Amino acid sequence: MSVTTTTPDRRRGFRLLALDMNEIGLIVILLLLYFGFGATTNGFLSANNHLSLLRDAASIAIAAWAVTLIIIAGEIDVSVGPMVAFTSVCLAFMLKADVNVALAILAALAIGGALGTFAGSLRAYFGVPSFVATLGLWSALRGMSFFTTNALPVTFPDNAFLDILADNMFGIPTSAIVMLVLFAIFSFVSQKTAYGRSIFAVGGNANAAELCGINVARIRVLIFTTSGVMAALAGVLLTARLGSGNAGTASGLEFDVIAAVVIGGTALSGGRGSMLGTLLGVFVITLIGNGLVLRGINPFFQEVVRGVIIVAAVLANILVTRYRERRIFGAC
Amino acid sequence: MQTARKQDPQTLVAAVHGATKQYPGVLALDDVDFGIRRGEVRALLGKNGAGKSTLIRLLTGATVPDSGDVTIDGASLTGSGTQRTVEAARLGVRAVYQELSLVVGMSIAENLFLGRWPSSMGVLSHGEMEDQARETLARLGLKLDPRRRVATLSPAERQLVEIARVMIGEPKLVILDEPTSSLAAAEVELLFKAVRSLAAAGIAVIYVSHRMSEIRQIAEAATVMRDGKVAGTVELAGADTAEIIRLMLGRSGQEDWLVGEARGGATVLSVRGLAVPPKLAGVSFDLRCGEVLGFAGLLGSGRTELLRAIGGLDAVRVGTVLLDEKDITRGSYGERVKSGIGMTPESRKEDGIMPLLGVDENTVATDFSKVAVSGVISTSRMAEAAGDIIRRIGIKTARIDTPVGTLSGGNQQKVVIGRWVYAGSRILLLDEPTRGVDVEAKSQIYAIIRQLAEQGKSIIFVSSEIEELPKVCDRVLVLKDGCFVQEFVAPGIETDALMAACL
Repeated sequence: MSVTTTTPDRRRGFRLLALDMNEIGLIVILLLLYFGFGATTNGFLSANNHLSLLRDAASIAIAAWAVTLIIIAGEIDVSVGPMVAFTSVCLAFMLKADVNVALAILAALAIGGALGTFAGSLRAYFGVPSFVATLGLWSALRGMSFFTTNALPVTFPDNAFLDILADNMFGIPTSAIVMLVLFAIFSFVSQKTAYGRSIFAVGGNANAAELCGINVARIRVLIFTTSGVMAALAGVLLTARLGSGNAGTASGLEFDVIAAVVIGGTALSGGRGSMLGTLLGVFVITLIGNGLVLRGINPFFQEVVRGVIIVAAVLANILVTRYRERRIFGAC
Repeated sequence: MQTARKQDPQTLVAAVHGATKQYPGVLALDDVDFGIRRGEVRALLGKNGAGKSTLIRLLTGATVPDSGDVTIDGASLTGSGTQRTVEAARLGVRAVYQELSLVVGMSIAENLFLGRWPSSMGVLSHGEMEDQARETLARLGLKLDPRRRVATLSPAERQLVEIARVMIGEPKLVILDEPTSSLAAAEVELLFKAVRSLAAAGIAVIYVSHRMSEIRQIAEAATVMRDGKVAGTVELAGADTAEIIRLMLGRSGQEDWLVGEARGGATVLSVRGLAVPPKLAGVSFDLRCGEVLGFAGLLGSGRTELLRAIGGLDAVRVGTVLLDEKDITRGSYGERVKSGIGMTPESRKEDGIMPLLGVDENTVATDFSKVAVSGVISTSRMAEAAGDIIRRIGIKTARIDTPVGTLSGGNQQKVVIGRWVYAGSRILLLDEPTRGVDVEAKSQIYAIIRQLAEQGKSIIFVSSEIEELPKVCDRVLVLKDGCFVQEFVAPGIETDALMAACL
């Protein structure tokens, strides 16, 4: 070509440690929360509470990794809580019927994956908005859990493997280890694989992605499959911790998950987001919840606080996005 | 403004006097005078960027001229901002644009009164609304039930409802912007009838269109714009098409062709009898290896439909598409991409770029596997591949991962083309690749296209800017009334002749 161009820099790397403004802000908030509660709340800084914090974080985070991908793709999944409860009930029934534990866990994950795939297919092939598809699951799965158990816990014989999942490894809750391993995997997949980058492409401009030859429908199905499997995994860990399958468990978890993702800076309009942001968002949610409990705030009022936090986070997210777009794209 | 009016102001419904409008980098209007009488239908012609839209915007009050004035029904427009459009509307200016603005879920009557529904004490009076709507439709000679939902109407009927909408109130001047571009030939007559009723009611109509046969049927005179000036207003009865074309193109002469002798090797893509009702009646052509084949045609002639059908984005029901003599008619878009066809869309922003992703990822998105090592995208390979395209195509970007949304239009377009070069596509379908890019970027894109052809790629180049086709194309096919009506072969494709074939 006749045009001369300066050779552009090569600066793309595995951007785990390249923090942006949002993430720095979150770290500051986390530190304030941590030392604030630490200085004012008895027992907050105890070793036991730290383990409890990690366990709580894990129950949100494992589902949140997959939901991050969903929101980056411009979709939403509100079925996480009932999905966790339903798979937990399924697992408990299987264990009660003396199904081999490994088989039962795999089956529970498969059930989650299949249900997610169903919701994703409704979105991808029939154009049902993902909010509606997953809202349907939200209602049906919670109902199914209560219906099959009569709202009673489903108990099963003691199980050595589940005990390991419920317990600590190297002094850290096993669920937290699972959370961190999955964090690494999801960060990697989202940054370094065609699947991960296609999710960003679909969320940024689905038409353009389609014209590039990316199979948009397949991506849309797969993210919901992933989300179903992750919710089921959270269900397995929760079942292990509780020692029974409970239809009413993980109530409202979907809100914590979505709030964590949005607080973490993932744009609800799609195309932008990061696992690190979600990790920080999870800790913000967990710290606030834990601190409120320890301070003995009325549990009903805690719900109010949670609602305010979610709306505030979404508002902040939208304002930041708007500001950033004005800065990046100018007046156009 | 004390200048004496050249025409009797009593008979002029709208007049623009000595209007000049400067935009950054372009003089959109240069001392323009324009006037239209009661009951007159005036055609308005001109190439892209000749100043037609700016003139229309002056009349609707959407743009304030830097100097000069606009008079509607004897009153000068004085306001600024939205006030000015309200003022123009109150004086009776109405415009119907190409993009329809109907709420499809509502009835015809509700659409006619959109936002100004007649009501008493806060309750909509549907009866009154329907009566008035029926009356308005009857005035245009339309037999439509005002209670019908717009969703059930054909494109032509929707266009007519748009026109009926401008009849509400007391319109003095109605501007129709390419009203037939989305209509099939048979539907045009309905529209003409409506336009004639408007004129008969004493309403002045400005009819923007380039279809000469239509213009001759509906308008008495045509005003031709060129480079921000009125090149001339001709009585259609005495004017031949060649004269109008001369006015549109000016005396630019034929400069800088990039094509010497038409070239092209063996046939790679062969289309036979392809029909997409109602736009394409059945077209056949061959695309040869290393050839740039242009598709010319007016807005709505079916260029985009043809390209989408060839690319497999819309199902082909009639006709065949052969790639290397293999029938790919039924194949999906994805399969065509795999077999070496790449397509760049007309609207870069809506369908072309992923604005938040970097130049690198926008480039390699057509085939991630080429920069991946056992499923993992290699940073260095991606940088290398994208860097190679950036150099070959001449994309100006600060960094390799700069978000594409921040680049200029021309550079965005180069990325959209570059991604198919990266993917190794042999056949490129380029839909309006120079739309909305600056002059310098345009000539760079022409050079890129020629270079790709020399490397043996076969290119279909669709453009609504007639003058650019002779510069880059080995061959140009003219699409009109759903068929290819004429073929031009380089060297020496004359813009005038090409334009005449299109109109």
